[in-house]
Amino acid sequence: MAAGTGVETTEKTALAPPHLIDPVEVAIRTRRPEDPAALRRFEDTDPPRGLDVARFPRVATILRDRKFQFLMILPNQIIFWLVIGIGLVGTVDPGLNFATAITWYLWFCLVFVMMVVVGRAWCAMCPFGGFGEWVQRHTFFKRTSKSLGLGLKMPESVAQYGFLLSVGAFLALTWIEEFFNIAGPGNPADTSFMVLGIVSSALLFFLVFERRTFCRYVCPLSALIGSVGSMGSVAGFRTRDREVCQSCTTKDCMRGDAEGYGCPWYTWPGSADSNLSCGLCTECYKACPSDNIGLYLQKPLTSVVMPSRRRADVAWSVAILFGLVVYQQLNALAPFASFDSWLNSHTFFPHYPNPVSYIGIIAGVAAVLALVAAGVQRALASTPGVARTGRTFVDRTSPFRSYFLPLMYGIIPVVGADYFARQLPKFFQHVPRVPVSIGHLFGFGSARSSLYHASLIASNAGIIAVQVGVMAAGTLAAMWTSWRVAGRDLAPISRRPRAVQVSAATFALVLGIVTAVLYVLMNAAD
Amino acid sequence: MTTLITNTAPAEGSSARHVTVLVDRCAGCQECVIRCPAGALTMEPVTWTALADDAACVGCRQCERVCPFSAIVVEGPLALTERYDPPLHHPVELRGNVEETRRGYDTWEEAIAEATRCLTCPDPTCVRGCPAHNDIPQFVAAVRDHDLDRAHEILHRTTVIPDVCSRVCNQAAQCEGACTWSLAGGVPVAIGRLERFIADHAPVPPPAAVAPYADALSVGIIGAGPAGLGAAWDLVEAGAHVTVYEREAQPGGLLLWGMPDFTLPDEVATRPWRQLVEAGVDLRCSTAIPADALDHLLTVHDAVVVANGAGVPIRLPVPGADLEGVVDATFFLQGAKDALMPGGDVPAWRERLGVADERGQRVLVLGAGNTAMDVARMARRLGLEATCVDWLDERFALARPDELAEARDEGVEVLFNRTLTSLSGEGRVARARLAHTVQRERTAQPTVLADQVDDRPVDLVVMAMGYRLDGAYREAVASAPIVKKAGTYPHGRWRASGLLANPASAYNHHNPVGSLSLDREVGLWAAASPRRERLWFAGDALTGPATVVEAMAQGRRAARAILDAQPARPDRVLGAAPAPRVLVAYASAGGTTRALAERLADLLGAAGARASVRSVTEVLPADLAHADALVLATWVEGMVVARVRAAAAMRSFVSGLGALGGRPVALAVTYGVNPRGVLRDLTAEIAAHGGVVVASESFGPRDRGTTRVRPSRLEAFANRVSAHVVRRIPVTSQA
Repeated sequence: MAAGTGVETTEKTALAPPHLIDPVEVAIRTRRPEDPAALRRFEDTDPPRGLDVARFPRVATILRDRKFQFLMILPNQIIFWLVIGIGLVGTVDPGLNFATAITWYLWFCLVFVMMVVVGRAWCAMCPFGGFGEWVQRHTFFKRTSKSLGLGLKMPESVAQYGFLLSVGAFLALTWIEEFFNIAGPGNPADTSFMVLGIVSSALLFFLVFERRTFCRYVCPLSALIGSVGSMGSVAGFRTRDREVCQSCTTKDCMRGDAEGYGCPWYTWPGSADSNLSCGLCTECYKACPSDNIGLYLQKPLTSVVMPSRRRADVAWSVAILFGLVVYQQLNALAPFASFDSWLNSHTFFPHYPNPVSYIGIIAGVAAVLALVAAGVQRALASTPGVARTGRTFVDRTSPFRSYFLPLMYGIIPVVGADYFARQLPKFFQHVPRVPVSIGHLFGFGSARSSLYHASLIASNAGIIAVQVGVMAAGTLAAMWTSWRVAGRDLAPISRRPRAVQVSAATFALVLGIVTAVLYVLMNAAD
Repeated sequence: MTTLITNTAPAEGSSARHVTVLVDRCAGCQECVIRCPAGALTMEPVTWTALADDAACVGCRQCERVCPFSAIVVEGPLALTERYDPPLHHPVELRGNVEETRRGYDTWEEAIAEATRCLTCPDPTCVRGCPAHNDIPQFVAAVRDHDLDRAHEILHRTTVIPDVCSRVCNQAAQCEGACTWSLAGGVPVAIGRLERFIADHAPVPPPAAVAPYADALSVGIIGAGPAGLGAAWDLVEAGAHVTVYEREAQPGGLLLWGMPDFTLPDEVATRPWRQLVEAGVDLRCSTAIPADALDHLLTVHDAVVVANGAGVPIRLPVPGADLEGVVDATFFLQGAKDALMPGGDVPAWRERLGVADERGQRVLVLGAGNTAMDVARMARRLGLEATCVDWLDERFALARPDELAEARDEGVEVLFNRTLTSLSGEGRVARARLAHTVQRERTAQPTVLADQVDDRPVDLVVMAMGYRLDGAYREAVASAPIVKKAGTYPHGRWRASGLLANPASAYNHHNPVGSLSLDREVGLWAAASPRRERLWFAGDALTGPATVVEAMAQGRRAARAILDAQPARPDRVLGAAPAPRVLVAYASAGGTTRALAERLADLLGAAGARASVRSVTEVLPADLAHADALVLATWVEGMVVARVRAAAAMRSFVSGLGALGGRPVALAVTYGVNPRGVLRDLTAEIAAHGGVVVASESFGPRDRGTTRVRPSRLEAFANRVSAHVVRRIPVTSQA
């Protein structure tokens, strides 16, 4: 705005003459922030300025609307309460029951697709956290000032392990699901009980702890969506101008104001370097008084490659989650069934899955990944290595971690592809049953209908081809990310920079080949 | 009182305190780093999270209070030395003695020792706790530096009565309750005593008056209490003609007739007025201004400040309240004060009260606030037995904690959880019936237990339950008084300061210091806004009974607003009128309305206004108070035919507007299909707030672009607005 017109839009105290500036503000002499130059550390992770979809007025209007997230959650809320009800009272045929059909043939696969493409899209519409949040805020979408419940903080002894509690919850839930054959799918009532269990535990956590402590630390899917979701092309809500965030005196995005709640996920757009813990809930966008937050897209894999802060909890999550998916591949092989029965008879356990083999295989795979990282570090690290510092699990540094963390970030695409490929058979073979199960609710549609027996891809060979294709794409992506991550993080601390890049990419390739071969064997075993 | 962490042994080495940063949750926002008084926090460069140096930490927990994500935890005692409070002055013979009971620091050693307990917090919560926003860390630092001139200079920016405030303020509920040590559970810096030390050891400088220039502003101030004093001070310093109308024969208001000498000596209470009169203030005592004379006064002065306080005593309507021997606090205090002055006649006063008998005359004081304490302590000095009763619970007592202790120390009986249900006697009051009460929460009204009653013999009853406003003024000006209640979402900087995070300071009986401070802010800004054209209110007249310091601060706020607005009475010819200040406030969802608002501001600026553009969510009270005119621009929400209204943000903004005092308002609405009744609704709402809508227009999709037709609808609208606002076409005021 031209100076001559007398219009001042930027100066906050334009109307009040100097002698009227609020003396409170005059008395504030806060220290200068530490090293503003250090903010350049975030530059690499910034999504391209042009990919801010919130700059379109229509999008901005939608994101500003307090009802937006409510309307995202509402359909899922309806579906999952239907799942709970119909699973309990509907037909016991899992292929015909709406609860099992929609949950295991469609929803579970969609979650993985969204994860790989978008990131935490599911979190933005999740009915489990959504329900807890409605109760906690005692409103569907309004901004309320007092929350229901105790509002505790997650104790530091647990919080320092970041996403690992979530990984533990996922392992436990998967084991339960295998033990009761819920996702098979088995008896629809079991699906109801599982969903009800998730909803009630979420509600409990929302009432005991503040904000989305449940989602951030406990939700079984959170670690998986967070780590694999970093492949996604949605960067989440990020700062438009980091200087503005840095010099912001109110931090409304974190504390909340009349327009929006403080970030329920404990994320500050001013320092977010990935989409790891942005739940896409739009609260910071609404709360920012400077309109300095955008909703950004990014190139796929950016959040895998670029963050300069590698988190140990994410790295171990990746290793353990890879162990879990490999376990699920192994257990489909014929020899595994006899091994598991042998183990059960010797450990007096009733039936599959034996917890010893379950934990053993997952831990074994994770240990192998760690040993490989340690091997690469021994072979290639320059001396002296990275110093041992840090206070807690998440930020400790050591020579081993300096290799393990980047290598695990690098293989995220393989892990993501593996989980994705694992869901494909159920989807391709049975998704036509979803409309049948819906029809069944209204009295038409039965196990005799042709749609019930239809498949998108019927043959094993076809499914194998798709699965191997997915794995090939994931492996190529992982080789690229491993190459880039190694080049950025490992080359500077290695004796032979090129060799460490080649080893990282080869590591990703080997994992990709092993899992692809397992898919071939699995389906051959069918 | 609750247990305080009064650790007095500064621990050796770094083991005493331990700071834990929750690295998983720390987002690197540096809110703690920039506010740590000890400089114990830095950033860890790799993880970009806060890093604490345990050895430097003083344990004040400021970081815990300001962290938006609760990602930092401090353990260990406070690194705090013991506070020194001089002992009370106990008169050998209480009867007839009105010497001041509280003492300040006598020596520099005492003052400097106390001053070094101050952490000089970078974001000082005490400053927010002080109603006048004294720059406490800086004047304390000046004491530490042995520089009383600088200390006075710093104090003068925000207060003109440090000698009075340091004696009569309830520091525990204000600055000291908001001291970072206090919020951390420790004993705060003795801010009040340090302020008093400055005023005791160097005289408060008089107003730096300049001789009024020829066509200087002429301001009339009604009332010579603390609020009038604050207003007169700033106006006279700015060279305005100031005329003060005081009902009583002497200036001072509450300071004089409401506060006994043992709390505030007359010498101190009258000091500001002596200085003001010397500086050229035209003080007209024994001149009462009735409410219906306001209009006439406004023809004589360019602006009028109503600062006549809340002086009507509240009387409890119980059976027997009209018996002889039932008086109110003002009557009692004024008479007692005169009687106890040199040359006063105590026996005659007791005779007049009907308690002439020398032995065991019992006074029942209704209430246990500060006035009640004054009454009871005055009664003790007249040689009477005094009992205060209050239906509140002692935990939520209204009196200053130290005042309560002093009263009890002087032999006053204070009964909480009691209420008077009836008085009886033959012509003269002889018995009082008291019922027990229960109060469980601060905000809850006590419950009266009608079956638990005591009967007490009494000889005199003094009603000291506080004061209320003069009803005539209330009727004459509808927009005063106001209710001091801050909104649910205070300005972010208040939340960022951490004052609201720990509202229950143990030092202050768990009073919510933060929210009380915020509420006071509402009063301060309301004082800056005219209640009617050229008519400002300040002090108790504006907010109902409150404190001396608040009244003074509001008076100054009103004076500065007047100086800034430069109002003129109809017959006064102005030299160069200042450009009018226009606030363009918009509610915009996608940016269309914002663009329109910015364009409007440009056009108004070109027409000669000083225009500022703000989103309605960002408008500060200061912006509103200092705008001569408002332009409101909003989008229209709703579904074409149903619930078509102005945007929610605009509706809440408009409903939250204070009194507009006849200021011109223009309305612009952007719509997609049809604005329906939006303009009509907004106009009604603005009128309800005392604003005058001078122009309104709705802009559809086709009106927003630049057209080749000149003027465009927007330009035409801007011209209409500037005709009213910039060219100062008089707008008839509507109260």
